[in-house]
Amino acid sequence: MHLTRRNVLLGGTSGLVAVGLPSIDVRAQEEAIDLVELLTGHRAVPSDRLRLLMPSTFPNGYTVPLTLEVDTPMTERDHVRNVRIFAPKNPINEVVGFHFAPLRSAPRVSTRIRLAAPQNVVAVAEMNDGAFLMTQTFVQVATNGCV
Amino acid sequence: MVTAIPRVQVPASVTRNELFLVKTLISHRMETGLRKDAHGKTIPRQIINRFLCRFNGVDVFKVDLHEAVAANPFFEFSLRATESGTLDFVWEEDGGAIYTLSHQLTVN
Repeated sequence: MHLTRRNVLLGGTSGLVAVGLPSIDVRAQEEAIDLVELLTGHRAVPSDRLRLLMPSTFPNGYTVPLTLEVDTPMTERDHVRNVRIFAPKNPINEVVGFHFAPLRSAPRVSTRIRLAAPQNVVAVAEMNDGAFLMTQTFVQVATNGCV
Repeated sequence: MVTAIPRVQVPASVTRNELFLVKTLISHRMETGLRKDAHGKTIPRQIINRFLCRFNGVDVFKVDLHEAVAANPFFEFSLRATESGTLDFVWEEDGGAIYTLSHQLTVN
Protein backbone atom coordinates (compact mmCIF):
# COMPACT_ATOMS: atom_id res chain seq x y z
CA MET A 1 0.00 0.00 0.00
CA HIS A 2 1.30 3.43 -0.99
CA LEU A 3 1.62 5.87 1.81
CA THR A 4 -0.82 8.46 0.47
CA ARG A 5 -2.79 10.99 2.46
CA ARG A 6 -6.01 9.07 1.76
CA ASN A 7 -4.60 5.75 2.95
CA VAL A 8 -3.19 7.26 6.09
CA LEU A 9 -6.52 8.88 6.89
CA LEU A 10 -8.47 5.68 6.19
CA GLY A 11 -6.11 3.63 8.30
CA GLY A 12 -6.27 6.11 11.11
CA THR A 13 -10.05 6.25 11.12
CA SER A 14 -10.61 2.48 11.06
CA GLY A 15 -8.09 2.18 13.86
CA LEU A 16 -10.11 4.64 15.91
CA VAL A 17 -13.33 2.76 15.23
CA ALA A 18 -11.82 -0.59 16.12
CA VAL A 19 -10.02 0.53 19.25
CA GLY A 20 -11.84 3.69 20.35
CA LEU A 21 -15.51 2.67 20.46
CA PRO A 22 -15.29 -0.62 22.34
CA SER A 23 -13.16 0.96 25.04
CA ILE A 24 -15.84 3.61 25.62
CA ASP A 25 -18.51 0.88 25.85
CA VAL A 26 -16.39 -1.15 28.20
CA ARG A 27 -15.76 1.86 30.41
CA ALA A 28 -19.49 2.73 30.50
CA GLN A 29 -20.29 -0.86 31.41
CA GLU A 30 -17.62 -0.95 34.14
CA GLU A 31 -19.05 2.27 35.57
CA ALA A 32 -22.55 0.76 35.56
CA ILE A 33 -21.30 -2.40 37.30
CA ASP A 34 -19.55 -0.30 39.97
CA LEU A 35 -22.69 1.78 40.44
CA VAL A 36 -24.83 -1.32 40.88
CA GLU A 37 -22.35 -2.63 43.47
CA LEU A 38 -22.58 0.68 45.32
CA LEU A 39 -26.40 0.64 45.26
CA THR A 40 -27.08 -3.03 45.94
CA GLY A 41 -23.91 -4.38 47.50
CA HIS A 42 -23.70 -7.01 44.76
CA ARG A 43 -21.45 -7.32 41.73
CA ALA A 44 -23.88 -7.96 38.85
CA VAL A 45 -23.13 -9.50 35.47
CA PRO A 46 -24.42 -7.72 32.34
CA SER A 47 -26.82 -10.15 30.69
CA ASP A 48 -29.17 -10.27 27.73
CA ARG A 49 -31.52 -12.51 29.75
CA LEU A 50 -32.77 -9.25 31.21
CA ARG A 51 -34.44 -6.66 28.98
CA LEU A 52 -35.47 -3.14 29.84
CA LEU A 53 -37.79 -1.87 27.12
CA MET A 54 -38.12 1.92 27.17
CA PRO A 55 -38.45 4.62 24.51
CA SER A 56 -35.05 5.99 23.51
CA THR A 57 -36.51 9.50 23.56
CA PHE A 58 -39.59 10.70 25.43
CA PRO A 59 -41.04 14.23 25.54
CA ASN A 60 -41.54 14.47 29.31
CA GLY A 61 -39.93 12.92 32.34
CA TYR A 62 -43.15 12.49 34.35
CA THR A 63 -44.55 9.29 32.86
CA VAL A 64 -41.89 7.37 30.96
CA PRO A 65 -43.13 3.88 29.98
CA LEU A 66 -41.03 0.98 31.22
CA THR A 67 -41.38 -2.72 30.43
CA LEU A 68 -39.14 -5.29 32.04
CA GLU A 69 -38.69 -8.86 30.80
CA VAL A 70 -36.52 -11.68 32.11
CA ASP A 71 -35.73 -14.89 30.22
CA THR A 72 -36.59 -17.61 32.71
CA PRO A 73 -39.11 -20.48 32.76
CA MET A 74 -40.24 -19.43 36.29
CA THR A 75 -39.96 -23.00 37.57
CA GLU A 76 -38.94 -23.81 41.15
CA ARG A 77 -35.45 -24.60 39.83
CA ASP A 78 -35.00 -21.58 37.55
CA HIS A 79 -36.73 -18.29 38.31
CA VAL A 80 -36.14 -14.64 39.00
CA ARG A 81 -36.72 -13.55 42.61
CA ASN A 82 -36.78 -9.81 42.18
CA VAL A 83 -35.70 -6.97 39.93
CA ARG A 84 -34.74 -3.48 41.11
CA ILE A 85 -34.76 -0.47 38.78
CA PHE A 86 -32.40 2.47 39.29
CA ALA A 87 -32.20 5.92 37.70
CA PRO A 88 -28.70 7.14 38.68
CA LYS A 89 -29.39 10.76 37.72
CA ASN A 90 -32.61 11.04 39.71
CA PRO A 91 -32.37 12.76 43.14
CA ILE A 92 -33.33 9.38 44.67
CA ASN A 93 -31.70 6.60 42.66
CA GLU A 94 -33.98 3.67 43.42
CA VAL A 95 -37.16 3.76 41.34
CA VAL A 96 -39.06 0.52 41.86
CA GLY A 97 -38.59 -3.14 42.81
CA PHE A 98 -40.60 -6.11 41.52
CA HIS A 99 -40.96 -9.46 43.30
CA PHE A 100 -42.04 -12.49 41.28
CA ALA A 101 -43.26 -15.94 42.35
CA PRO A 102 -42.23 -19.18 40.62
CA LEU A 103 -45.09 -21.01 38.81
CA ARG A 104 -47.42 -18.09 39.57
CA SER A 105 -46.23 -14.91 37.88
CA ALA A 106 -44.67 -14.28 34.49
CA PRO A 107 -41.25 -12.56 34.51
CA ARG A 108 -42.64 -9.48 32.84
CA VAL A 109 -44.12 -6.18 34.07
CA SER A 110 -44.95 -2.74 32.70
CA THR A 111 -45.27 0.56 34.55
CA ARG A 112 -44.44 4.26 34.21
CA ILE A 113 -41.63 6.11 35.94
CA ARG A 114 -40.21 9.62 36.44
CA LEU A 115 -36.81 10.64 35.10
CA ALA A 116 -35.05 13.84 36.17
CA ALA A 117 -32.63 13.93 33.22
CA PRO A 118 -31.53 11.98 30.14
CA GLN A 119 -29.76 8.92 31.56
CA ASN A 120 -29.09 5.20 31.53
CA VAL A 121 -31.84 3.39 33.42
CA VAL A 122 -30.45 0.29 35.14
CA ALA A 123 -32.20 -2.98 36.03
CA VAL A 124 -30.68 -5.53 38.43
CA ALA A 125 -32.22 -9.01 38.71
CA GLU A 126 -31.64 -11.47 41.53
CA MET A 127 -32.06 -15.02 40.23
CA ASN A 128 -32.99 -17.97 42.47
CA ASP A 129 -29.46 -19.41 42.21
CA GLY A 130 -28.07 -16.23 43.77
CA ALA A 131 -26.78 -14.74 40.51
CA PHE A 132 -27.21 -11.00 39.95
CA LEU A 133 -27.82 -9.94 36.35
CA MET A 134 -28.01 -6.40 35.05
CA THR A 135 -28.87 -4.40 31.98
CA GLN A 136 -29.20 -0.73 31.15
CA THR A 137 -30.88 1.37 28.50
CA PHE A 138 -30.45 5.04 27.64
CA VAL A 139 -33.52 7.27 27.74
CA GLN A 140 -33.51 10.84 26.48
CA VAL A 141 -36.15 12.97 28.22
CA ALA A 142 -36.81 16.61 27.40
CA THR A 143 -38.16 17.73 30.79
CA ASN A 144 -37.33 16.95 34.41
CA GLY A 145 -40.03 14.66 35.85
CA CYS A 146 -38.89 14.86 39.47
CA VAL A 147 -39.99 18.39 40.38
CA MET B 1 -56.44 15.05 50.47
CA VAL B 2 -58.12 13.31 47.57
CA THR B 3 -58.93 9.70 48.29
CA ALA B 4 -56.98 7.25 46.20
CA ILE B 5 -59.20 5.15 43.94
CA PRO B 6 -57.86 1.71 43.00
CA ARG B 7 -58.90 -0.10 39.86
CA VAL B 8 -58.06 -3.51 38.41
CA GLN B 9 -58.78 -5.23 35.14
CA VAL B 10 -58.72 -9.04 35.26
CA PRO B 11 -60.59 -11.60 33.13
CA ALA B 12 -63.60 -13.10 34.95
CA SER B 13 -62.57 -16.59 33.87
CA VAL B 14 -59.24 -17.98 32.72
CA THR B 15 -57.85 -21.25 31.44
CA ARG B 16 -56.05 -23.48 33.94
CA ASN B 17 -52.27 -22.91 33.94
CA GLU B 18 -52.38 -20.32 31.16
CA LEU B 19 -51.05 -16.80 31.66
CA PHE B 20 -53.63 -14.05 31.98
CA LEU B 21 -53.05 -10.31 32.03
CA VAL B 22 -53.71 -8.18 35.10
CA LYS B 23 -53.86 -4.39 34.87
CA THR B 24 -53.92 -2.29 38.02
CA LEU B 25 -54.13 1.45 38.54
CA ILE B 26 -54.58 3.65 41.59
CA SER B 27 -55.30 7.33 41.23
CA HIS B 28 -52.71 8.89 43.50
CA ARG B 29 -50.62 12.05 43.42
CA MET B 30 -47.41 10.25 44.54
CA GLU B 31 -46.06 13.36 46.28
CA THR B 32 -42.29 12.81 46.23
CA GLY B 33 -41.29 14.94 49.24
CA LEU B 34 -38.87 16.79 46.95
CA ARG B 35 -41.17 19.65 46.02
CA LYS B 36 -41.61 22.93 47.88
CA ASP B 37 -44.82 24.93 48.26
CA ALA B 38 -45.27 28.64 47.46
CA HIS B 39 -43.70 29.57 50.83
CA GLY B 40 -40.60 27.47 50.24
CA LYS B 41 -41.71 24.80 52.69
CA THR B 42 -41.11 21.18 51.66
CA ILE B 43 -44.30 19.30 50.81
CA PRO B 44 -44.10 16.05 52.82
CA ARG B 45 -43.69 12.75 51.02
CA GLN B 46 -46.95 10.89 50.50
CA ILE B 47 -46.63 7.93 48.16
CA ILE B 48 -47.97 4.43 47.70
CA ASN B 49 -44.89 2.54 48.90
CA ARG B 50 -46.01 -1.06 48.36
CA PHE B 51 -48.32 -2.99 46.10
CA LEU B 52 -49.26 -6.62 46.70
CA CYS B 53 -51.20 -9.13 44.68
CA ARG B 54 -52.27 -12.31 46.53
CA PHE B 55 -54.05 -15.35 45.19
CA ASN B 56 -55.88 -17.44 47.78
CA GLY B 57 -53.74 -15.85 50.48
CA VAL B 58 -50.37 -16.46 48.78
CA ASP B 59 -48.24 -13.55 47.48
CA VAL B 60 -47.92 -13.89 43.71
CA PHE B 61 -46.59 -10.45 42.74
CA LYS B 62 -45.24 -7.57 44.84
CA VAL B 63 -43.85 -4.13 44.10
CA ASP B 64 -41.72 -1.79 46.23
CA LEU B 65 -42.48 1.72 45.06
CA HIS B 66 -40.10 4.63 45.54
CA GLU B 67 -40.42 8.32 44.72
CA ALA B 68 -39.82 7.95 40.98
CA VAL B 69 -42.85 5.78 40.20
CA ALA B 70 -45.09 8.07 38.15
CA ALA B 71 -48.27 9.55 39.63
CA ASN B 72 -51.30 7.22 39.41
CA PRO B 73 -49.15 4.07 39.67
CA PHE B 74 -50.01 1.57 36.99
CA PHE B 75 -48.81 -2.03 36.76
CA GLU B 76 -49.44 -4.57 34.07
CA PHE B 77 -48.33 -8.13 34.81
CA SER B 78 -49.30 -11.72 34.08
CA LEU B 79 -50.27 -14.58 36.38
CA ARG B 80 -51.31 -18.18 36.09
CA ALA B 81 -53.69 -20.14 38.30
CA THR B 82 -54.46 -23.81 38.75
CA GLU B 83 -57.70 -23.45 40.69
CA SER B 84 -60.48 -20.89 41.12
CA GLY B 85 -60.13 -18.44 43.95
CA THR B 86 -59.76 -14.88 45.15
CA LEU B 87 -57.25 -12.35 43.91
CA ASP B 88 -56.59 -9.66 46.51
CA PHE B 89 -54.92 -6.38 45.59
CA VAL B 90 -53.41 -4.17 48.31
CA TRP B 91 -51.88 -0.71 47.99
CA GLU B 92 -50.04 0.59 51.08
CA GLU B 93 -49.61 4.33 51.50
CA ASP B 94 -47.09 6.32 53.59
CA GLY B 95 -48.64 6.78 57.03
CA GLY B 96 -50.26 3.35 57.04
CA ALA B 97 -53.41 3.84 54.96
CA ILE B 98 -54.35 0.77 52.91
CA TYR B 99 -56.49 0.50 49.80
CA THR B 100 -57.77 -2.89 48.69
CA LEU B 101 -59.75 -4.62 45.97
CA SER B 102 -60.80 -8.26 45.57
CA HIS B 103 -61.59 -10.19 42.46
CA GLN B 104 -63.17 -13.65 42.08
CA LEU B 105 -61.35 -15.69 39.49
CA THR B 106 -62.94 -18.72 37.84
CA VAL B 107 -60.49 -21.22 36.41
CA ASN B 108 -61.74 -23.55 33.68
